[in-house]
Amino acid sequence: MIEYYKKPFSREESLGSLNFYIRDWFEKRYKNPTPPQLYSFKLVREQKNLLITAPTGSGKTFSAFMAILSDLMDMAEKGALEEKIYCVYISPLRALNNDIYRNLNEPLDEIYKKLGESVKKISVAIRTGDTPQAERQKMLRNPPNILVTTPESLAILLNAQKFSENLKSVKYVVIDEIHELANNKRGVHLSLSLERLADLAGRDFTRVGLGATLYPLETAAGFLVGYGDDGKERDCYIIDATWDKKMDYTTVCPVSDIVNAADEKIDESIYKTLNEIIEKNKTTLIFTNTRSGTERVIYNLMRRFKYGEENIAAHHGSLSRELRLGVEEMLKKGKLKCVVSSTSLELGIDIGYIDNVVQLGSPKSVTRAIQRIGRSGHRFSDVARGEIVAINRDDLVECAVMLDSAKKRRLDSFTIPKNALDVLAQHIVGMALMKKWKIDDAFALVRRAYSYHSLDKKDFMMLIEYLSGSYVGLESRRVYAKIWYDANEAVIGRRGRLTKLIYFLNIGTIPDEVSVDVYQDRKQIGSIQEEFLSRLKPGDIFVLGGKLYKFDHSREMKAFVTGTESKIPTIPPWFSETLPLTYELALEIGRFRHELADAIAKELRGIKGISKLLKARKFTGGKDAEAILDAMPMDKNTRSSITSYFTEQLLFAKHVPNDKLVLIEKTSDEKGERNYLVFHSLYGRRVNDALSRLFAIEASDMFETDVGLMINDNGFVIVTDAALKIGKEDISRLVSNVANSDAARIIRANVRRTEMMKRRFRHAAVRSFMVLRNYKGKKISVKRQQINSELVLKAAEEISPDFPVVKETYREIMDDVMDLPRAREILKKLKEGEIAYEIIETQVPSPFSHVMVTFGEADVVMMKDRRKHLRELHKHVMQQISKRYG
Amino acid sequence: MMRLTSDIELADGLPLLYIKSLDAIVCSDLHLGYEGVMASRGSFVPKLNFRKIKETMMKAAKAFGAKTVIVVGDIKNEFADVHVEEFNEFREFIGFLRKELGIGKIILIKGNHDNFIDRFRQALGFEIFAQEALLGDYLFFHGEELPKSKGGKTLVMGHLHPAIAVYNKVGVKEKIKCFLYGQTADGRKIIILPAMNYFAEGVDVNQEHLGKMAPIFDRMLDVDEMKALCLGEDEILDFGKVGKLRSV
Repeated sequence: MIEYYKKPFSREESLGSLNFYIRDWFEKRYKNPTPPQLYSFKLVREQKNLLITAPTGSGKTFSAFMAILSDLMDMAEKGALEEKIYCVYISPLRALNNDIYRNLNEPLDEIYKKLGESVKKISVAIRTGDTPQAERQKMLRNPPNILVTTPESLAILLNAQKFSENLKSVKYVVIDEIHELANNKRGVHLSLSLERLADLAGRDFTRVGLGATLYPLETAAGFLVGYGDDGKERDCYIIDATWDKKMDYTTVCPVSDIVNAADEKIDESIYKTLNEIIEKNKTTLIFTNTRSGTERVIYNLMRRFKYGEENIAAHHGSLSRELRLGVEEMLKKGKLKCVVSSTSLELGIDIGYIDNVVQLGSPKSVTRAIQRIGRSGHRFSDVARGEIVAINRDDLVECAVMLDSAKKRRLDSFTIPKNALDVLAQHIVGMALMKKWKIDDAFALVRRAYSYHSLDKKDFMMLIEYLSGSYVGLESRRVYAKIWYDANEAVIGRRGRLTKLIYFLNIGTIPDEVSVDVYQDRKQIGSIQEEFLSRLKPGDIFVLGGKLYKFDHSREMKAFVTGTESKIPTIPPWFSETLPLTYELALEIGRFRHELADAIAKELRGIKGISKLLKARKFTGGKDAEAILDAMPMDKNTRSSITSYFTEQLLFAKHVPNDKLVLIEKTSDEKGERNYLVFHSLYGRRVNDALSRLFAIEASDMFETDVGLMINDNGFVIVTDAALKIGKEDISRLVSNVANSDAARIIRANVRRTEMMKRRFRHAAVRSFMVLRNYKGKKISVKRQQINSELVLKAAEEISPDFPVVKETYREIMDDVMDLPRAREILKKLKEGEIAYEIIETQVPSPFSHVMVTFGEADVVMMKDRRKHLRELHKHVMQQISKRYG
Repeated sequence: MMRLTSDIELADGLPLLYIKSLDAIVCSDLHLGYEGVMASRGSFVPKLNFRKIKETMMKAAKAFGAKTVIVVGDIKNEFADVHVEEFNEFREFIGFLRKELGIGKIILIKGNHDNFIDRFRQALGFEIFAQEALLGDYLFFHGEELPKSKGGKTLVMGHLHPAIAVYNKVGVKEKIKCFLYGQTADGRKIIILPAMNYFAEGVDVNQEHLGKMAPIFDRMLDVDEMKALCLGEDEILDFGKVGKLRSV
């Protein structure tokens, strides 16, 4: 059973459970256990499975290791400590491994200095892809008691004939940064490795998971412990110390009126705000949502203020490892006033003293906001401080609701990919390499892993068939088959003299990412990230080097574009870099919209001359609205901006879309060149990705026309020619047609020939060893992999639409990239009336659609053109309001 | 069935033609053994090409009842050698033509991919021509070089893998394989065969620069004036002149 452990043990109970020497060291060093340690010392000592979530600086690592070291120390004192691996520590970050190695050796060195050589020393060793051959050999002969490793290296060790013997003695497995693993295929891969390890050992071991905030914790715990053969989740206690650290945060709007302020004014205010915060604090960490944003912030802070390379630095994934390590070193020494990062610093490496975190633009998830802000306040007892500086109106609402949710401890959930066939293929090959398996035994093992508990036997058998090369004739299986399979006996085993080499050289789940060259008229004009390419549909318009281009098609690692007359980009260049708004937070924002709009609407009924009040910025929304906003963490500018945003929408369109109301707005751009069909469906980009395709396909069929599409977290826009006439009844019919359609089938057909499919199929084919990235020690270029996987796709589809690798690619696109399951839920609710929809016609887009229709132009710190565009739209709206209400 | 000339017939969307006066099925660019070679290098492409080629030949044999098969080059794929995977499919192909389809004579005009294949001539029993072959009124040549002979009323060429690019409903570019049919500068008729290979998507003749691939386009042939006859589901679709397709 998985349950929360809510009552901490006493100090004495906790410390008393430790080995004498370990306790002695701990007390001298730290005096008192931290809150998570007051639970964990005793529980780990009793060898209970445990998931601990706690913020940085809470002594998470020692909360797991003090008890484990105690156990090993007891053994050492009794002379029972052998040269065997008792504990495996796994972290997704190699950098973290070095930290842990140091942190473990520190107490050991000090304790053994006193003990002398009478007691056998507990040994620790790191094993990653970087470990030199000589050390590996040494490790094989003299295995360490504690092995520090990564998920990939663990999988390799499980398949090392000799070394795997050393793993049989494992008693503890510690997984660090579990929040970085549980939501992706790397974690799925690890979950199978854990079950293989348990199978190898012939028994269960104690599992301890450590992580930052991660909800729902029950799911994370399930991921950690998996299932027993009785089909029930293994026992696990959850210790949630997330909230034991005090936090102080607010939403900041840089100007009093974000819509009407001049460009320079907004820029100036943003940087002025940042500078004030930096000056006030010792060290400030600024998060931006993209790498280019990071660079721009650094540039502007240096240009506008007195900062230089000696006290301000950037830290993101595009920088070299040396540069990043240099910045980390300066941080630890406390030399930097400010560091700006995209995502690279939200992870667990020790970054020294930071007393304030600023997030520029919405981080898109409550959990992430807390994680990031939690990076400040080095010691557990310090208060973590942070501000979110919002950069547009939707951002303001989003950030305010996000921090309010954080305050109310409502976190958004993560999802674990389920039944991923490509990752499973890898492990089946690994398992078969080690020994003969009865199919039923292998299947039972796989189903113990959380991510495969609901795996269908049919899918498993299809994978066995695929891996045994059943898709080619008998004479070719020598080359194609990765496993040996005897259908009569229902047994699998190893096959092929190259298979082992293939396994070792191609293991892992992280795809190779490269940049793609962009060509116009046979001339290269720049390059884009492949992930961005995979988001493009023919006809999409995007900015490259300051100019607009229309995407046409791609071949291998080249993208072909044409110039375009259009001035409206449909997709921003960083689209693939930013994370989608989480579903829970989207619903939360929807509920907030509902509540605040109702309050303001009530107030508006009794007011005359509203347009003047608005202009003078004297309308506060009334008592109820004020009360709602008062309770939320935001500054004055944020309050007034949100109030006028909602009021303008109500006056102009009568409706504010919310969680139970999808607003469908038929409108056109201010020049009348295009028609927009704006769907205000605030459910996050992943859901909207699926919804928008369904609506666009149906619209294109119904109205027999080409349509363009823009998608963001708050909704989507179908763009059509200005000549197209659509009435309200057409739109109603469109909604009912889509609500009644076979969504999965339509999406599948729609995705089939897209860039997304081509690229994601390569990833899946590489993961399933169908297209190798390394063959006999020779690296195969990504371009070659791409060409070959397109051939594989062509043939595999012809063999069967349910060919496992094809099936997995569609699953990944529909469930992981998009959120088709929730999109279908929403369609069902629309059909059953649980979610209402309202169709309105407007002459210019309503305020709530402005950010959406200018979405392709969006940038972290907004581009001037877009801001101008937004202001024009706003002016039109205000003129209308003024005309109507005086 | 579609009659291209009084002597040449096309059928059922198949990428080959039948010449009555020679009683021969003519095809090119099979690239046998393709997937097997790929697999031996780490990309496990499911085998489909040979199966599809056999199906195509079976339909052709049924439609035309020919006694001869002429392959206008690139029966296999590797330049450097004859890979074992290629040899296996090649041998099986010859056997299949003889035993299953009752083909008596098999003629191969060598293409740029067909190096080292001569050595199997006697063992497997086929006729082979190094560059080109003048048979009846026809001059067969693969196409990576200009034909040397001035003879033949009609030229038959492979090598190019011609196709037309079209955009489907969602705006995605797709290629349709086609025959090209026209006339050379010196007044001979010419027909260029689509690739038999299943994986060859083809070269967009309405977009790519063809002279680099086949010198005949630089010297004596204007692709714009050629007709594109595309392979439909089970029919041949006349798309008209290539030059007219450019503006689409």
